[in-house]
Amino acid sequence: MCFQILVQEKRVTQRELFYKLLCSSPQYFTCQLQVNRTIQDVVALLRCSRYSLGIMASSRGAVTGRLLLQEPNQETVDCSACGSSGHPISGDMNLLERMVMKTDARYIIVVEKHAIFQRLAEDRVFNQIPSILITAKGYPDIATRFLLYRMSRNFPDLPILALVDWNPAGLAILCTFKFGSIGMGLEAYRYACNVKWLGLRGDDLQLIPEESLIPLKPRDLQIAKSLKSSEILEENYRNELEVMVQSGRRAEIEALYFRGYNFLGKYIAKKIVQANYV
Amino acid sequence: MEGKRSSSQRSDLLRKIREFTRSILDDLSIGKSPVVLIDRFRNYCTDNTGNCCCSSDLSKGKEMLTLQRECHAHRLDVLLRVLLIVQQLLQENRHGSKRDIYYMHPSVFSDQSVVDRAINDICILLQCSRHNLNVAYPVPVHVEEVKDIVSVAQYILVVEKESVFQRLANDKFCNKNRCIVITGRGYPDIPTRRFLRLLVEKLHLHVYCLVDCDPYGFDILTTYRFGSMQMAYDAKFLRVPEIEWLGAFPSDSEKYGLPEPCLLPLTAEDKRKTEAMLHRCYLQQELLHWRLELELMLQRGVKFEIEALSVHSLSFLSENYIPSKIQVVEGV
Repeated sequence: MCFQILVQEKRVTQRELFYKLLCSSPQYFTCQLQVNRTIQDVVALLRCSRYSLGIMASSRGAVTGRLLLQEPNQETVDCSACGSSGHPISGDMNLLERMVMKTDARYIIVVEKHAIFQRLAEDRVFNQIPSILITAKGYPDIATRFLLYRMSRNFPDLPILALVDWNPAGLAILCTFKFGSIGMGLEAYRYACNVKWLGLRGDDLQLIPEESLIPLKPRDLQIAKSLKSSEILEENYRNELEVMVQSGRRAEIEALYFRGYNFLGKYIAKKIVQANYV
Repeated sequence: MEGKRSSSQRSDLLRKIREFTRSILDDLSIGKSPVVLIDRFRNYCTDNTGNCCCSSDLSKGKEMLTLQRECHAHRLDVLLRVLLIVQQLLQENRHGSKRDIYYMHPSVFSDQSVVDRAINDICILLQCSRHNLNVAYPVPVHVEEVKDIVSVAQYILVVEKESVFQRLANDKFCNKNRCIVITGRGYPDIPTRRFLRLLVEKLHLHVYCLVDCDPYGFDILTTYRFGSMQMAYDAKFLRVPEIEWLGAFPSDSEKYGLPEPCLLPLTAEDKRKTEAMLHRCYLQQELLHWRLELELMLQRGVKFEIEALSVHSLSFLSENYIPSKIQVVEGV
């Protein structure tokens, strides 16, 4: 099916592919999940990327801070001047590959949630601590991971620090940036980066009141289980995960606002200066 | 980058907050229980006589809060705390989210919904929209401050899903058809709805909506057209009564020869939702066509997604379906 589409010089979304396969080969494909798994298998067999099979992807990611991006023959974009939403990351991998990047930042901060990204962008935290902020607004898509990967290759001296919620889902997001996506077959380890865990971590919980800790959802427990079973998780991450599960609780970054709106910036600055990341 | 208008809006709101607080203090200082009146709004109801007043923007009655009832006292406590935070946001011209506000007093605001309701109440009391309170972040564009929009487009196309947006982008739809395509990625958020409304007001173009043929798609369509219940008090700035339902209609599955496997069965939840929507007052008197199609969906018991239209040919959506539907609407 992909071959036919590529021959026509077209691209297809995963959902469209599902409907085509549903109608042409109903005995093989009955749900989207099967299609996704098959795509992974094909990618592994042919040792290629989804993108080269003609499958379109979009990106939810955004980047801001002390970074200049230039597409060949286009104007340079100053990411720090893009407002609190930042500069959106294109889903076109070929384009991302050709981008020219310049920076004077000292750190790259990966932010799990869009709301936190916006807060930090609005407060221009990237000027107080010269940095680049990047977010995938949740579970990272491949384009955002690819951009981070390119930044890590272009700027190898910049530590990459992750700011996620204290819960298994947050840790899973960090691990996806760090090790790759477990659900992506051969593509998994591509674009893995050396990301360190800045926060929230267990020893930050003393900064927030008891009431701000909320119960873990069943989904969190499932994620914890799957993370535990993966061999790749290092010991201190494993220990943190254990504490999360045992306590049955989780904490969101926003809980730090208990100490006022300015506290988040100060918290990040202090941790970075003390090199308090693992 | 802030215009004069929004800074005068802010000082206006700060003044209203001070006046509101003062009136409560005045009452308390003479030993009187303050009474806070909050208007109620709704966009639709289940009245099918055609006599309801949902289509007007007026409030449908008032709620009275006093300190004499304990639940009201708690609600006022919450409201005042949130108001204090909002005041700080406005004074410093910073933005925050509803979630941030929750975490500032988690033991008092036992749940997020408590904060959400307080914010709604404050918007009604101060007669403003949520973004005026600096709650939630501005779109890169401050909608009120856009002075001029120039476009050579002939119409605006609103699509429910990002994947459909991608399909159209990939097909270079806007190059071949002079139009603006916008997506709310599901239920549209406030900035998207405000931006769409601005486009319509400034450009006076036809607006068409392309959603999946299922109860949620239909609900998204009605959100654009009539507004959502949660934001009922703000409906007149957010709704786009000019928006037309382009597709996908339940009757399209036959008309365009959709293969059987693409038609997915309606779940019990889907059926419940459809039945509830059929009772909405605006489907009783006007929009008969919408009503008939919705009834057809329920009758047939199936739904389908826009992507199903690409089964025979990936370019079917861009080259056949959308242009032919627009021709029908424009009477060509």
